[in-house]
Amino acid sequence: MFSRWNWVACGFCLVLNICSPDASGGLVQSCGHIIPESPVLALGSNFTALCILNESCLDFGNIYASQIIWKIKNRLVPKEQYREINRTVSSVTFNDTSSLATPLTCNILADGQIEQNIYGITVTVGLAPEKPKNLSCIVHQLLRFRYVMTCTWNPGRHTFLDTQFRLRYRWPEEIFPDCIPKDVNNSCTITDIQFFVNTEIWVEATNALGKAKSDPLVVDPIDIVKPLPPQNVSISSGILPTVLQLCWVNWISDAMMTLKFNIRYRIVGDTNWMEVPSEDTASPRTSFSVQGLRPYTEYIFSIRCMKEDGVGYWSDWSEEKTGITTEDQPSKGPPIWRIIDTSHSPAFWTVHLIWKALKPFEANGVILQYEVTVRDKSSLSSPVKKYNVTGTNHTLQLREGTYEVSLIARNSVGASPPSVLLIPASNSKAPVKNLRTLPKHDKLWVGWTAPNSYVLKYVIEWCLVSSSSDCIIEWQIALGDVQGIDLKGIKPFKCYLITVYPLYADGQGSGQSVKAYLKQDRPSKGPTVQTKKVGKAEAVLTWNHLTVEEQNGFIRNYTILYKTIDGNETVVTVDPSKTEYTLSSLTSDTLYTVRMMASTDNGSRTGPDFTFTTQKFGKGEIEAIVVPVCLAFLLIVLLGVLFCFNKRDLIKKHIWPIVPDPSKSNIAQWSPQVPAKHNFSSKDQMYPEGSFTDVSVVEIEADDKKSFSEQDLKPFDLLKKEKSTSEGHSSGIGGSSCMSSPRQSVSDSDEGETTQNTSSTVQYSTVVLNGYRDQTPVQVFSRSESTQPLLDSEERSEDHAGGADSTAQRQQYFRQNGGQDETNTDRPCFERTKQITHANEGDLVGFVQLQISGQSSQPLGLGMEKNTQEAAVSNVLQTCTEGQTVRPETVGENPLSVDEMPKSYLPQTVRQGGYMPQ
Amino acid sequence: STGDSWGIFTFLCAALCNLPALPALNCSEELGAGQSIQQTYDLTRYLEHQLRTLAGTYLNYLGPPFNEPDFNPPRLARAERVPSATVDLDLWRGLTDNARLAANYRAYSRLLCYLRVLDGQVGTAELRHRLAHFCASLQGLVLSIGGVMSSLGYPLPAGPAGPPAPPGAPAAPNDFLKKMDDFWLLKELQTWLWRSAKDFNRLKKKVPPAVVTLRLEARGF
Repeated sequence: MFSRWNWVACGFCLVLNICSPDASGGLVQSCGHIIPESPVLALGSNFTALCILNESCLDFGNIYASQIIWKIKNRLVPKEQYREINRTVSSVTFNDTSSLATPLTCNILADGQIEQNIYGITVTVGLAPEKPKNLSCIVHQLLRFRYVMTCTWNPGRHTFLDTQFRLRYRWPEEIFPDCIPKDVNNSCTITDIQFFVNTEIWVEATNALGKAKSDPLVVDPIDIVKPLPPQNVSISSGILPTVLQLCWVNWISDAMMTLKFNIRYRIVGDTNWMEVPSEDTASPRTSFSVQGLRPYTEYIFSIRCMKEDGVGYWSDWSEEKTGITTEDQPSKGPPIWRIIDTSHSPAFWTVHLIWKALKPFEANGVILQYEVTVRDKSSLSSPVKKYNVTGTNHTLQLREGTYEVSLIARNSVGASPPSVLLIPASNSKAPVKNLRTLPKHDKLWVGWTAPNSYVLKYVIEWCLVSSSSDCIIEWQIALGDVQGIDLKGIKPFKCYLITVYPLYADGQGSGQSVKAYLKQDRPSKGPTVQTKKVGKAEAVLTWNHLTVEEQNGFIRNYTILYKTIDGNETVVTVDPSKTEYTLSSLTSDTLYTVRMMASTDNGSRTGPDFTFTTQKFGKGEIEAIVVPVCLAFLLIVLLGVLFCFNKRDLIKKHIWPIVPDPSKSNIAQWSPQVPAKHNFSSKDQMYPEGSFTDVSVVEIEADDKKSFSEQDLKPFDLLKKEKSTSEGHSSGIGGSSCMSSPRQSVSDSDEGETTQNTSSTVQYSTVVLNGYRDQTPVQVFSRSESTQPLLDSEERSEDHAGGADSTAQRQQYFRQNGGQDETNTDRPCFERTKQITHANEGDLVGFVQLQISGQSSQPLGLGMEKNTQEAAVSNVLQTCTEGQTVRPETVGENPLSVDEMPKSYLPQTVRQGGYMPQ
Repeated sequence: STGDSWGIFTFLCAALCNLPALPALNCSEELGAGQSIQQTYDLTRYLEHQLRTLAGTYLNYLGPPFNEPDFNPPRLARAERVPSATVDLDLWRGLTDNARLAANYRAYSRLLCYLRVLDGQVGTAELRHRLAHFCASLQGLVLSIGGVMSSLGYPLPAGPAGPPAPPGAPAAPNDFLKKMDDFWLLKELQTWLWRSAKDFNRLKKKVPPAVVTLRLEARGF
């Protein structure tokens, strides 16, 4: 049984031998080993290792120490470090362990080349621990009876080795269990500590290379206590509105240690702590009254404690508790100001009283209401008016005058002292001088020089200037002894209008205003420039001012930049008040690009480009060319006309030969038909009813009966025949415009007229038409009043055709004719039909002209032009023997001239032969 | 003359620099006596305070009638093992400082032994912890008294130095008597602590730190 177990054991041993990875216990027995085994080495020290070969191997494979090679990891150690001690031992020496690494192996070169590992060791390199330094301890109070002591130290350099720190402490004859840090190497907490006994505390650091001990710290733990802060802090308001009482509970009994305290407090919303003087709280206590607080203010309190003798540590601050002091009456009246609106009528004011709510520390409570008292200073008899207001403004309707307004704020405790505002009838007193502003960070400082007289206070009004909305006035009151204040809440890049009023005891000074920016920026846009007028060498540019919002600062100047496409830019600086500028010395007919820059103190911005082209010609240049040309042309034309006129006869001969007037022949024919009833009578009586017809007849006869050619007569004859049936004939000779009138007159005269009359009328009108070849009918018609006398005269002329009358006689006829014109003896006829009258007038002139045409073509040629006619007539008249002046324009209108005219004509016609040439 | 004044100045400077060195060392060493008396006094007060709450808790743990305020049992003979502080006050005051200190030292050493026994028997962990803490503090008191004695130059009393072996033999035949022992132990402790506080207060006044320093200094030189 035993032997069997033995065998089994042996077999097991065998298996173990085979399987064991251990080099020394392998199946193939290790041929050697290294001394020392797994050393821990100090960094930087030297180290020597020995490789010892087994004797058995020497025999087995001819292995000797001289064949040993050393390797660190896979790196060969230089042979110089080897030393063969004897046949079986080789050593290697390292002067500095820092060159070592794991593993260090001992190998052998078997058979010269085959490298075989003999043994290997693990090398650990590190440092011995340093002496821990700066050991300090603090006792924390965790609960009423629970204290722990935490000690910290500086563990020193890293050792690269597993180093154990332990905090040790002891009494002279008692050693307490060590405190071993967990997870850290620089602090440890002792949970059970004893006070009032000096305890020696030190730290020990240990690792494979050594042990180090800190300097001991001897301390009574009571001297390093950091107590818990006082708890259950409660605050109660005292009797006075400036006092609050604090009560608290201490965690530490006086038997253990007495405490002193620190109490700090601040107003809610404020961040600055105030502290109760430490000497007031340097003794043990559980309550304290904090004095000198503001009424009706919420305070936050916090408290801490430490050992009374000041040895140890302050506790943390206790949790913060708040308490409110009780109300007190307001300490001052609210600042008050007014805005007077006189827009309705200057005599009646709408006074907006405005005041600022008291600051909490002034109000000392909740302001329940304000009491406004208005006293009329100008009339003592008027009653004092009182108003109770809950808001911070009040509007009054007052007659212009001097008023004293006083304002009282009231809370639950009492009333404030009154603030008084005097509203004088006029702001006649001296204003402040030298008003100026200066930006200071986020505030705008407003400064002024005080007037000479004593100023109670100043009111500073300011408002944001805006182009779109009204200035909303903000205001502030400054005491009379200051000469500058900081305005808060001023926005940068905005224009503010600031006005300062000094208030005197007996009145108020007029306001001085200044515009200011807290901070300026460059304008937010540039001005848009455009041309108003463009000339050849100049252009008038206009632009609009930037709005206040766009300016972002005071516009110091405008800059106009203009250039041609390829030219250099020209810069012109313009005063900021201008909105127009004339660019001069431009090149004509050139494209210019102009833009405009507005500049503030802090920069500038350019507006959009505007392009324009200068004109090719300057103003008046075209006119200077065109006008002379036109004048010259006109002159030429005039000269041409004059020339043509002068050479009219010649031209007429060539172009427009005179066609013999057929009417003349007609006259010859039809005038005898009509009996010259009045002829005889008129001869006897100063030609009362003398007519042109008479004249013409006389003329014709007088001139020469022989001169009446058949050609002349024929047309008359023809007319006579065809008159009533057709006007076509006459139209062929004369203007059609004349034709309508005779026809009308024909139809008109048909009514209630004898056929003879009718026929005679028709005949007459025909005569007129013929005579009108060259003349407008209107004037011709204007003269005649009756057809009848004309016919009569014609008849008469027929009668007298046989006998030659003297020229004097003819003159008389003419005169008679004019007389007839004036006297209107033939009125019935005239009244009967106007058309006829016109026709007669036409006839008259027609006749006259007929006569004249015979003498000179001039008057006829100019036709109706008065001046020319006049000239012509005057020409004729100059030749007149009588030398009488004639006003041709009055022909037919002025009886006198009409009287004269024939006179003047007659000699001419006679002399020149009248119709003779024709 | 400039050189002279410079010389004087340098001398003064050197003197000032050296001034704190030697006396400071001496002072710190000898200040220990007065300081340790004060510290012992504080510790006594602290233990008194601790015991007040601890005793209340422990008596509650013992249960009625021990936790009744007016429970005042007669002192049994077996309780005599516990050192009694019921010495006549005048007699006690008549003792020398050394004797009083030695008596305190001995008494607390004995009391500590009993207390440690007590500690091992308590059921609740909290009470055990507090008792242990109290024991450690009391141990500190014993050490402190020893320190005061040595600082005043008195020899430590011979006797059970260190934790003496608990009195052998089963102390209490029954639970009630055992509780009674505990009761008396706490009561005696209170009395001792109360009297010790007075002792050290008196001693403190008697040996003010400054006087001690001067005397020791004089002796030292």
